[in-house]
Order: sequence, then structure tokens, then C-alpha cells
Amino acid sequence: MKKPDLKKLKEVDFKKAAKDFVYGKPHGERRLGDLYIPKTGLYKHREWRGIKDTMYYFNNIWLYNYGMIVRDLMVYGGGPKGMIQFLKGTWRYRWMGQTYLTVMHWFDRCLEGMRGETLKASAWHFRGITSACLYQITGFFNRDLNIGGDPALRAKTIGTDETVWGGVIYPYMDQGGYYLPTQMIPYFVTCHCNNHTVLNYIDAVQAYGLPGDPCPMCQAEAGIYIEDDVPDAYVAMVTTNEACDSSVGTSVIQDWMMNKPLFAMPQVMQFDDDSVLENCAKEIEMAWRFMEEQTGLEFHWEELKKHIELQNKQNQFEREKWDVAANTHSYPINGVAQALYRIFYSQYGERPFWHDVDAKVRKIMEKCVEEDINTFPMTRHRVIAWSCAPLYYSAWCTWAYNCWGLNTIINMDSLMFDLDIRTDTYENCLLDIAKYHEWAPMRRMAVGGLQHIFELWENMEKFNCDMVMMYDQLQCKGMQGVVGLFEDEFRARNIHAIWMPHALPDKRTVPRSQIRQIINDYMFTVMGEEPLDPSLLDFDDIDSW
Amino acid sequence: MKKAKKKKNKAAGFVKKTLGIAALAYAGLFCVFYYDLDGKLLYYVVEPFMKNHFDNMERRDPHTVPYEQIDSEYMAAQN
Repeated sequence: MKKPDLKKLKEVDFKKAAKDFVYGKPHGERRLGDLYIPKTGLYKHREWRGIKDTMYYFNNIWLYNYGMIVRDLMVYGGGPKGMIQFLKGTWRYRWMGQTYLTVMHWFDRCLEGMRGETLKASAWHFRGITSACLYQITGFFNRDLNIGGDPALRAKTIGTDETVWGGVIYPYMDQGGYYLPTQMIPYFVTCHCNNHTVLNYIDAVQAYGLPGDPCPMCQAEAGIYIEDDVPDAYVAMVTTNEACDSSVGTSVIQDWMMNKPLFAMPQVMQFDDDSVLENCAKEIEMAWRFMEEQTGLEFHWEELKKHIELQNKQNQFEREKWDVAANTHSYPINGVAQALYRIFYSQYGERPFWHDVDAKVRKIMEKCVEEDINTFPMTRHRVIAWSCAPLYYSAWCTWAYNCWGLNTIINMDSLMFDLDIRTDTYENCLLDIAKYHEWAPMRRMAVGGLQHIFELWENMEKFNCDMVMMYDQLQCKGMQGVVGLFEDEFRARNIHAIWMPHALPDKRTVPRSQIRQIINDYMFTVMGEEPLDPSLLDFDDIDSW
Repeated sequence: MKKAKKKKNKAAGFVKKTLGIAALAYAGLFCVFYYDLDGKLLYYVVEPFMKNHFDNMERRDPHTVPYEQIDSEYMAAQN
């Protein structure tokens, strides 16, 4: 047996080691980068956060969420039959079988280094997102004729583009009407959870002969149809031109491949012109008539009103969260949890699981404010993230805080749907619904007109931010057009801004390590700062999820 | 009396055994969690297996899908 090195043992500060064991290492001594297995993003071991936070993570996040996944599959799936459908779907569809099983690693990546109330509140957001995903996954599989789903359920289900807001189904929900955004689960969420699978769909559409330079989001969405990887779970389809012309191209391929009745619901791009609002409202009414024809469901105004009012409550809580984020140091939600949760619920629409999460988060946030807890104590810069984010590296905010103390307070997509829809009359409600549709993701600011993309300046002030993380989606022709204008403004206003190039879902164009290098270079050379955790500066995670 | 005591001992033994198994299971799960064994299993075994399955799955040839389809019939009926 090897003799212990007494000299080394003498050097160990046992008091400090015991303190680190009980409370976790302080930020700056953690060396989180040493935990990774090269290339894979897997951990040699998960982070020790001190006894309290490690046990919270183990019991209340890891074990709890694995358990809740099974619970959700049983409840949303309607018992054991739903579980069988889930297994069949997992075996049939790549976006399920190769992707979502790795969900707990998504939690890990996004919650690295988090402690105390921040860990709790951020994890609740991921619980909400996971529950919403399972609601849709079971919705797909229970209805899917490819795997023996129920035709009666399918008959009341409308498939949509993911940028058609989920509120279109509100008037029919009491009759079993079901909204199924056909790309949200097979494409959008996969990129965040496990970005291996989306590459397959991008390659499929290019192999089919389509050019590789349009938006890779639209390529991937079309690729799912080329690969015949969309469940036959809906009776008809509603599409939209949101966010841009590339999305219309996707709809053409989808329409071709799926062979179902389709209603195209266009929304105007320059939405400031009020004369077009009524036209948008008419399009929505026509979509409702189409859905009624296809499903046999009836329009229930009271049902619509009920869900709109619940949705308004969610939006009002969101504003309370923004107020805390903007004006205190006690906001307990990290950048990635804030961004994904907000875009998911405001796009998917009001459902019970969001309210459960909001109630839990409210409690945590109120505690943080009352006790004046500094939730991100190592913050050096308050960052606002602008434009469209890299889906394969939404966890960059967590890395940036751990490595450099860059705390992402808010992002552009979270600010889009800030609208309380009126329910006093049908006419007012319809006009506000039209406006809500016009403010879709990547539309409200990104392609809604120069004055809207320049709302950055007022939001920077509102949220007390001193730095901008400027996303640069290399294949978005709309945003490429304003790069020079932004550069001029950043100079004129003397704002620190880091351009983050990326290709939305495709990590091969700008790998995550390159994104980190760009931020590192800026922080060293322009800001003249040193990292809080040097082990996170450079590590290889090229093959990670 | 003796019988009741024996029954009590048996119950206590059962509880002890159950608690012991639960404690072992809990410790085992903690090891899975701490050493990221779930991640390693998924990364090295499950995902390659599923990938192989999906790569070899027979799929519809998109070139065989006719361009004229049901929605054009639907739109024609509307006009």
C-alpha cells in the first residue's frame, strides 16, 4: 500500500476543507471546469454545493423531477395506456427517443453554480417547462395514428406552426379542443435539451436539395417533415408567416408532406400601422371558422374569456418579476430559466402547470425581497441579452455568471408579449388577440421595424443594465441588416456590447467554445478583468448535449 | 403474551429491514446522482443505441409524395 504523503497532508487546511464541505466552496474557488469529462459535457462528479444545497439538488430537483416525469406521463397520458403510447412514441420518433431522455442534464447545465433561493426558483422554472413538454408529448402520442393513437382525440386537435399562439384554442378547450404546435417539441425544445438530434433534420432538408443558407430553424422544422418524423396527431393545420418569409417556406414543405387541410393565417410585419389590425383580427376569425369546420367544435366566448383572464394574471406576475429584477439585487431567477420559461408559457398559452410554478416562485421571490438576499452576489455587470439567442447554448448565461460575473438580467424575447388582453367586449378582445399575434417571437422587436429593435436602449435603462450581449444570428437576413446601425449606436452611446455569433440550432457553425472565447477575449482585452473561475475559460464540450 | 412479543419483534424486524433497504436504495441513488451515472449511461449506452435504431429505420421517400394534395381540394371547395 502506498504511504500517505505526510508533507501534503500537513499542508491541508482541515478547518477550511470542513467548511467547504458544509457550506460549499465560495465562488472563485470552485473550479467548475475541472468537473467536466473532456468533449462530452458529462461530469466526473456533479458539483458539491455544500450539504444543504447538494441535498436540495439531489432530493428536490434530481429525484423529484425524475419522479414527476413519471407522474406527468401517467396523469397527462391518462394512466397505463398513456405510458404504453409514450414507449411506442419513444421508439418511433428520433426527437423523443434520442433527445428528451437526457432532460436532467439540461437542468444540470443551466443550474451550475447556483445556490440557495436562486437554485430553487430557477429549478421551478425548469419543472414548469418539463411539465409543459410532457403535456405536449403525451398529447402527440395519445392522438398519433402512426402508433395506434385515439382517432376521437385526434379529431378535436389542430396542429399549428409553433409561432401560432396557443390562445387560438381557448374558445374550444371546454369541449376537448387541443392545440398542438407541431415544431415546438420535435424541434425547438430539443435544441436546448440535447442538440444532437436537430442536426439530423437540418442535414435531411439539405440532402433533399434545399439550399443551406436560409434560417436553420426553418430548415430543421422542414427537415422533420422530410424525415417523416411528425406524428399524425391532428386533423388540420393552421400556419402563419411569423416570424419571417423563411417560415412561409417551411409551411410550403409541411403542406406538401402532411396532406391535411391547411389554413394560412398571415400577420402583418410592420404592426405599428393600426389600419392593418382589423385585417389581422379578420384572419384570426377565419382561422376559428376553419377550425370549427374541421373539428365540429363550437366557439365559446365565456371559455375564451376565462383563459384570457388567467393568462393576464400570468403576465401581471411577470411584470412584478421584472420590477424586482430591475430595481433590486434579490431577483432569484437566472438568465436561462427566465428566458426559456417566459417564451414557452407566453407562446404556448395558459395552462394549469404554469400557475403552480408561479405560486412557488412568488413565495421564493417575496422571501428574497423581504430578507434583502443578494441572489447573485458576484455580479460584476448587469447584462441585457438582445436579438435571437443560440438555442444550442442557452446555458451560456450560467457559464458567463460563473466564469466572469456577467449576470443576465433580462432578454429581448421575454419582453415581447407584454400585453394584457381586454375581455370587456368580444371586439376589444379580438383586436388585442390580433396584436398579441403580431408580437410573436422574433417579430415584435427583431423584424417589427427599426424603432422596435432599438427598444434596447430604453430597456437597458429600465433594467439598470451596463452591458449588452448582442446575439448575431448569422443566417437571419433581417437582423444582418441592422448590424452596422447597432455598432454605430453602441459607439455613440459608449455602451459595452459583445457580439455573439451563432446559427440558432446548429452548433457546427459557431461552436460553444468559440462563443466562450469571444466573451473571454472581450473581458480580458476591453474590460481588463480577470475571471472569477479560470477553469471555465477554455474546455472542450464539442460533443456534449 | 409470548406470542404478542414475538409478533412485535417480527414487526420491528420488518420495519428495520425495510428502513435498511430504503437507506441503501437512497445511498445508491445518491451515488448515481453524485457520480453522474445516469448521464454516463445515457451518453455512452442509451443514446448510441437509439441513434443506431433511428439511423436504420425505414422511412417514407419524400420524393414519392405527390404535390397535389387534400388541402388543394379543400381550397378548391371553398372557392
